[in-house]
Amino acid sequence: MKKVTDSKKISKKNIAKLLDEWRQEFTVLVPWRDETVAKWARWDGKDTSFLDWYRNTVVPPKAIFFPPMEEMFSFQKDREGYHLELPASDESKQLIFGIRPCDAKALAVLNMTFSDAYEDPYYLAKRNGGVLVGLGCTNPYDSCFCTSLDSSPTDSANVDLMLTDIGDDFLVEAITDKGKALMAKTSLAEAVTRADEARAKDVKETTYAKVTKKIDTEGIKEKLLSGFDNKDLWEKIAAKCISCGICTFLCPTCYCFDINDELVKNQGERFRSWDSCAFPLYTKMPMENPRVEKWRRLRQKVCHKYVFYPMNFDVIACTGCGRCIRLCPVNWDITQTLDNLSAEAQVKMEK
Amino acid sequence: MKDGGMQQKLRSEAKALLEQGKVDYIIGFEAGSLKFTTTPLITSDKDDIDRLVINPFIVNNLSVYLSELKGRAGIVVKGCDSRSIVSLLQDNKVARENVVILGVPCSGIIDLGKVEKLVGKDRDEIDDIIQDRDRVVITVDENRREFPIREVLFDNCLGCELPTPQEYDILLGELTSAASDEDKIASQKKINSLKNIPPEQRWEFWRSEFDRCIRCYACRNICPACFCDRCFVEETEPPWVLPVPRWQDNLVFQVIRNMHVAGRCTDCGECERACPVNIPLRSLTREMYDMVDELFHYKAGMDKEASSFLAAYEATDVEDFIR
Amino acid sequence: MVDYMTQESEWEPKLLGFLCKWCSYAGADLAGTSRKKYPANIRVIRVPCSGRVDPLFILKALRLGFDGVLVSGCHPGDCHYQTGNYYARRRMAITKKFLEYMGIEPQRIQASWVSASEGEKFTEVVTEVTKALKETGPNRLFTDERRRNATKTTE
Repeated sequence: MKKVTDSKKISKKNIAKLLDEWRQEFTVLVPWRDETVAKWARWDGKDTSFLDWYRNTVVPPKAIFFPPMEEMFSFQKDREGYHLELPASDESKQLIFGIRPCDAKALAVLNMTFSDAYEDPYYLAKRNGGVLVGLGCTNPYDSCFCTSLDSSPTDSANVDLMLTDIGDDFLVEAITDKGKALMAKTSLAEAVTRADEARAKDVKETTYAKVTKKIDTEGIKEKLLSGFDNKDLWEKIAAKCISCGICTFLCPTCYCFDINDELVKNQGERFRSWDSCAFPLYTKMPMENPRVEKWRRLRQKVCHKYVFYPMNFDVIACTGCGRCIRLCPVNWDITQTLDNLSAEAQVKMEK
Repeated sequence: MKDGGMQQKLRSEAKALLEQGKVDYIIGFEAGSLKFTTTPLITSDKDDIDRLVINPFIVNNLSVYLSELKGRAGIVVKGCDSRSIVSLLQDNKVARENVVILGVPCSGIIDLGKVEKLVGKDRDEIDDIIQDRDRVVITVDENRREFPIREVLFDNCLGCELPTPQEYDILLGELTSAASDEDKIASQKKINSLKNIPPEQRWEFWRSEFDRCIRCYACRNICPACFCDRCFVEETEPPWVLPVPRWQDNLVFQVIRNMHVAGRCTDCGECERACPVNIPLRSLTREMYDMVDELFHYKAGMDKEASSFLAAYEATDVEDFIR
Repeated sequence: MVDYMTQESEWEPKLLGFLCKWCSYAGADLAGTSRKKYPANIRVIRVPCSGRVDPLFILKALRLGFDGVLVSGCHPGDCHYQTGNYYARRRMAITKKFLEYMGIEPQRIQASWVSASEGEKFTEVVTEVTKALKETGPNRLFTDERRRNATKTTE
């Protein structure tokens, strides 16, 4: 039996009004750019031109919940010892408007890490108050490969509300209860026609087909593990990498961080900041550094995402957003590496 | 660039070098995985040689790999890159007999950022970019548009003093001429505009630029002159600069990085290109380059017999600022 | 002449001095033993040679809040290590000019040649530099208007 849809639609002309309504309850964050970089920023109350240029940001939305630097606490030192003071907790609820399916899936991956054996209070305090309004793509990059990773450019699995671009309007689907509550409050939503639904289906199919980069994840764990000790191959793969942190910092699923204290006179702060397994000193310990060689670090990075994380959490820690490929200064491409390793493994198996 | 002939010559020379055992590796460029990009190719396998390319997108400064590779390398360099090799020779970081320099006379590299701005489309939305001597033809949705080539070249290409390597073993093409004076002025537009604003505003400008820095260290790692095993930012006793990306720490990092590469930086521009958040790093590196030239009449990477700038001195060095 | 010792004015500049052990530090010591007066604004770090001073120290000092930095060494030709001060001279020249380009007031970075017998000169240098710093004003270069440099928000 054909189910009557719960979807609604909102005219693009009403988006500013909608954001304004939401602004009364939430801090609304939208894609923002200047001549230098595209990232997420607080909505200024009027500008919705991002609807024209936005494909994806350079700095991923993980920076909202897991910022590049964060003060964990401050402390004073006196004769009695250390006195800690936690930073003022940010009570505001944040609404992320326009998050892409790849980034939303990445947040779901991050959630697993930050609420595993230890529940990270800094991340969760922000994330739990956060509402995700997803925006399906219409113009994927040539470096996107979400369709190979159990997702799609219009995937609604990991957001509270999902918007699909159907021309003059957005089709709006409420995915979670948070999403339903949001839609219930607004009067800007209109009823959806059969034509609208057909258009949405068409957009989803067309956009899916626009994603041209593909990888084969069939048995990828086993393939990577079978070539794990192939030093010569990994050295060749890693040769052009310069060990900077761009791929890991701009990856929406990467979560490594460093903790540092700074004490000046009797006052100090403890900071958490982004760290990268690509850095040579990442695994340096007093006695030794098990990943001195660049190829070991690169092998670790690839296997973490495609082997070890899936072993622990049943999901590949990559959502195919393509930022690492677009922004790598030497155009190191993980999809090429995976293809090479797969091919090697195939050859090995056939022997 | 008349690449067709140069590319053929490169491939045959590189293959010969490997076959004759004169080098252990060839370091060059091959087609990248994205449109209008190239990527470094580092190989000891002569079957890979046919992938080598020369085109207006060979942007990387490959001499950065010389510091970490063990053995002898045949390396493809443009004029600016060859000067980085000279810098490394001055620093005794690389031995001349371990490098076979395959020099590419360069007529400028195309800045995709500028192209994107000109046509209002992203790189993957552009059909084709073809250089035709002093013009570039950009095709978008089958519409051809022509622009003077200087509108799409990198800023430092505009002011290039040495497009053809003067230190080389094999030259792959004919000499190209250095930039005109008006191009040189164009390449320093940003720096000159900074010099024309008062100091407090300049500081505020840099403060806001470094607020964006995420300390990925791409600028440092892609720089051939930055080859320290342990960089000062990684020192924890004392912690000069925390890894935390506060603008103060970011600024100190970049300023001191520039001081440490003074006289060895050849303004290849890779640091600015690599920066994912587009901090105008060349406005620092170029200024340092010009300052060293102005105060000490020393240009980085020109004379392989000369001493490294900071490891030398002259009796006549300027000292009018010393009480 | 303003008497710095009585500290009548509210703000006193903090000057960090890197003095080379063989010449400038000895010169400063001579000024002391000769009972010469000079402003107490200077805090001294003794280095083996002016060539030891990395521009990093100077910038770190400014970062920590010092209003000015003075690097003082032996006269050219008199360096205990023969050539250390020559390297320092080159380095200080570009440090001073480059930081001025960044927007830092040039008076904040000072250099001098003071020999072991120049106690008088040392007092003059410190007095002049302190005066110049007083005119330049407090160092607010690295201060943040926000309460703390805490969470780097997405703004």
